[in-house]
Amino acid sequence: MEELGKKTLQEPRIKFDNVSKVFETRSQEIVAVKDYSMEVLTGEFVSIIGPSGCGKSTLIRMLDGIIKPTYGAIYLDGIQVNEEGKMPKETLRKMGFIFQQPNLLPWYTVRENVALPLRIFGLSGQAWEKRVDELLELVGLTKSGQLFPYEISGGMLQRAGVIRAMVHDPEILLMDEPFGALDELTREQLNMELLDIWKETRKTIIFITHNVEEAVLLSSRIYIMGTQPGRLVSTVNIDLPRPRSLKMITQPEFISYKQKLTKLIGDLDLSKIK
Amino acid sequence: MTKKRIESFIAPIIMFLLIFTGWEIIVRALKIPKWLLPMPSQIFKSMIVNFPAFWPHILVTIETVLLGFIIAVPIGILLASLITSFKVVNAALSPYVTFLVMVPLISLVPLLMLFMGYGMNVRVVTVIIQSFAVVNMNACTGFNNVPIMRQELMQSLGASRLQSYRRVILPTAASDIFTGVRLAGIFATTGCISAEYVGGNMGLGSQIIKYSQFLKTTESFACIFYVTIVGLMMYWLISFAQKKIISWKI
Repeated sequence: MEELGKKTLQEPRIKFDNVSKVFETRSQEIVAVKDYSMEVLTGEFVSIIGPSGCGKSTLIRMLDGIIKPTYGAIYLDGIQVNEEGKMPKETLRKMGFIFQQPNLLPWYTVRENVALPLRIFGLSGQAWEKRVDELLELVGLTKSGQLFPYEISGGMLQRAGVIRAMVHDPEILLMDEPFGALDELTREQLNMELLDIWKETRKTIIFITHNVEEAVLLSSRIYIMGTQPGRLVSTVNIDLPRPRSLKMITQPEFISYKQKLTKLIGDLDLSKIK
Repeated sequence: MTKKRIESFIAPIIMFLLIFTGWEIIVRALKIPKWLLPMPSQIFKSMIVNFPAFWPHILVTIETVLLGFIIAVPIGILLASLITSFKVVNAALSPYVTFLVMVPLISLVPLLMLFMGYGMNVRVVTVIIQSFAVVNMNACTGFNNVPIMRQELMQSLGASRLQSYRRVILPTAASDIFTGVRLAGIFATTGCISAEYVGGNMGLGSQIIKYSQFLKTTESFACIFYVTIVGLMMYWLISFAQKKIISWKI
């Protein structure tokens, strides 16, 4: 990124400080995440990559108040957010969560689904309603707004899932393998649309994936996680020029990043990462 | 589509005609006496001719069934939301709800009448006991089966309990709840008839007993047919409500 020089001066937007999560089942304790630390600056696009079961999804769930960490601290804009009890709405409003599946509610139309966070956060008024329509237009869903989820395609559904996470104008987007369930072509297209959105809005994005190519193409920095217990193994900065495009996939620098990451992940099953 | 509809409409009618003509022919052929097994034609005739005498009892039965049902359904759903929200409530109540489903109602009714007399109240209470548990059990299933990802969506938005219920939990559980409500409609009818059987002189159940004691089997059957009609009406009413309320596809 061109703002590399400023990094040291900026306070991190998001900071994980030695965060651990232990799940207790009836018979044993499972360490999902162990001593994870990470700092993300405003406007950065970072990915967390790792094999399934490495706790990468747990990380962003802890940040978004869905799961409480067992040890350690998570800071958002310098304020610790993992205190006892429910995370306050003002904090949650700063974030939007995009799930592995579209996760739309079948009893609402596409538009109602997209507008759902506004209803929960109590954001009403003309300006917000206009924002819903603008977002629908941004991803080409204007005509599908009045349809129900079962009436539109998988790619369209996930687009709706993405803009639902953006409707309350959060500064941070947390994406949990958002396009993993889609076919290759749709996934590539949605990745490009995501880069456009990121370029225009400069959201801070944490992107969870198990796809190396996708991670290299999108991110400024990639965190590699290992499993059992889930932990940070290595961090790789991706100094490829912006804007990125699908054409870069065949360029030597891109390929060398890809090889480097694949090597770092090492013991990961190669067939899974393409 | 339309062909299927016609089939599903005509098939039960043909079955109905087959059963009743068969019954009619057998009774006539074997010359079975009327007090033992009347012919359907005689029963239908009695249903019409004696309608003025039956009507007050039909009304009482419908009233009891509806009143008990309308009280039982919200109790069952509310209790389910408590049971599925708080482990303590679950531990405290679940065995007794199961008990209420399993215990033969007819064994409880005389006791209830001992406490409450033979009036309308005791019959309504019987209906409530008979029908709320099945709503409760199905609603619990529905509330427990909300997909984790939907719960996480509401958590990530900081939704209140009320917001979660309204927007996610109730709609997700709706089809399970309706399974319970439909069964409750049937149980309410059978519960009401058992209460009327045991004591009192109002309602179709009491009339079935009265007529059969006098070997007026035709009238007895006529009352049984009216009970069936009341039960079917409940079933249709609930199915209609379900179609109106659950308008979406999964």
